[in-house]
Amino acid sequence: MRRILHLLVISTQREILQWLAWRAFLLTLIINQMVAPLIGLAIWSVALPGNHQISTYYVALLAVQLMTVSYENHTVANGIYDGTFSQQLLKPQPVILGPLGTNIALRVLHLLFGLPLLIIVGIGMGTTWDVRMILLALPALLLAAILRFLFTYLLALSAFWSEQAHAIVSFGETLIFLLGGSAAPIALFPANLHILGEIAPMYALLGFPAEIMSSGLQQSQILSGYGWQILWILVFALALQLIWRSGLRRYTAIGG
Amino acid sequence: MVSVIDVQDLTMVYKAPLREAGLRAALVSVVHRTYREIHAVENISFTVDSGEVVGFIGPNGAGKTTTLKMLSGILHPTRGEVRALGAIPWRREPAFLRQIALIRGSQPISGPGELTVLDSLRFQQLIYEVSDTDFKKSLAVLVEMLDLEQLLRRQIRALSLGERMRCGLALALIYQPRLLFLDEPTLGLDVTAIQMMRRFIATYSRETHATILLTSHYMADVETLCKRIVLIDKGRLQYDGRLEELAATLSSYKLLKVAISDELCPDWSGYGEVVETEDRKVALRVQRDQVAAVTTRLLAECTVIDLAIENPPLERVMDQVYREGIA
Repeated sequence: MRRILHLLVISTQREILQWLAWRAFLLTLIINQMVAPLIGLAIWSVALPGNHQISTYYVALLAVQLMTVSYENHTVANGIYDGTFSQQLLKPQPVILGPLGTNIALRVLHLLFGLPLLIIVGIGMGTTWDVRMILLALPALLLAAILRFLFTYLLALSAFWSEQAHAIVSFGETLIFLLGGSAAPIALFPANLHILGEIAPMYALLGFPAEIMSSGLQQSQILSGYGWQILWILVFALALQLIWRSGLRRYTAIGG
Repeated sequence: MVSVIDVQDLTMVYKAPLREAGLRAALVSVVHRTYREIHAVENISFTVDSGEVVGFIGPNGAGKTTTLKMLSGILHPTRGEVRALGAIPWRREPAFLRQIALIRGSQPISGPGELTVLDSLRFQQLIYEVSDTDFKKSLAVLVEMLDLEQLLRRQIRALSLGERMRCGLALALIYQPRLLFLDEPTLGLDVTAIQMMRRFIATYSRETHATILLTSHYMADVETLCKRIVLIDKGRLQYDGRLEELAATLSSYKLLKVAISDELCPDWSGYGEVVETEDRKVALRVQRDQVAAVTTRLLAECTVIDLAIENPPLERVMDQVYREGIA
């Protein structure tokens, strides 16, 4: 386990160095990730003027977005398409370590580059924060980060069967935008969609930690949210294992 | 001798989509897809003993790379059995993976290009759990043999193709694998780099007794490095044996190189097929069983000042084999 963690840390450091060399591309990725929460912030600030909680929610959502971004459609699917994935199969370490290292590296860089804007927007919109709620949101943030990686990785593995993995991951991103609390906070969903929104994995991987940070949830809702996050992590981890085995069988049967 | 590789009836069949040209066929294929089976490798059997350097050759599309991928564990065969270092490769057990290396001339290095060569070597050390002492020892040897001193602190992305290949070899050999699969290791290299690569592989094999399976389209690589070759074509095994016997087995002719002092050259085509002629020198292609008779006639009818009987160059034999198959 110690060796695996050591490999993960080294792998993350290597990827940070690699991605720093692609600064311009990285910057476009970061800006792209910030657009949706900022649009949400602009629209809902106009729709609900004077509501500081909604501003705080969207700034928190922006932070969650930057800390949970996942690009496995690029890092995993492209490797399957161009055959470099084969090299990973020959290394005596779990294949997932490579994509996971890249994922962590990209999140660190997204937060690092996005932080100045995050602070400016936070101050500019008059957001207010409760340290206790931020601490309560930390486990939710960690679980959201795990869940989003599993979610995107699972969709990216469609590259074993289809050449349209990018489109499939894009569809997943659209669902996250609509149902994850980015287009609108779940609390503002129509009543019949509210329940669905709360239990959907998209909310668990994006909107839930942001809602805790903006003090929008009761203690019972927070506990129930943790529960849903853990449940979805188990479901996606199991699905990932099944899809991985099946995909690998296909890859090794038809050629890399 | 212990077999390091044992391949029995190895077969790999792919299904590839197939359709006619044109819009109608494209639309039909949306709802009704048809496939054809591609027999990339068919019932291949061979063994490789410990320390052997074997040339695995064949024309493009013969199934060489597919076979290497199956032997290294990337591909799962449709049928057949393989044991490499006693393991079933496609189970990809860490103990097996730590002892093998697949080096592809088309892609000698993978991983972040921004890192230096030494960074990447250190990462290999971690992945393959090489002790500091062994790492330093191996590195010193590889730096010496591959002339890497100036490259260690260079970024991988800034390396030339030849430098990449040298570093790719160092990355693959730093953990001292017992079994090497070299897929076109001299692809695209210049003459100097090719010579260096050949010298290195020969020295490495001699000093470490590693087992090497080498594919190359350059017959000089095979001639220099391999005593034995395994030849496949259209997925089937065509020849397995010593290299020097290949020409004799596969080629029914020899080359007679003759130089004469006569002012007037005779009609060379009366002696054999003229391969090349220059001034009073000629290279003749003569049926093996007629060499003695033709030589006698030449010596009797011309003033021969030099005569050599040679097996045809391997490149030429292979060209004939690839085009006409093995009789």
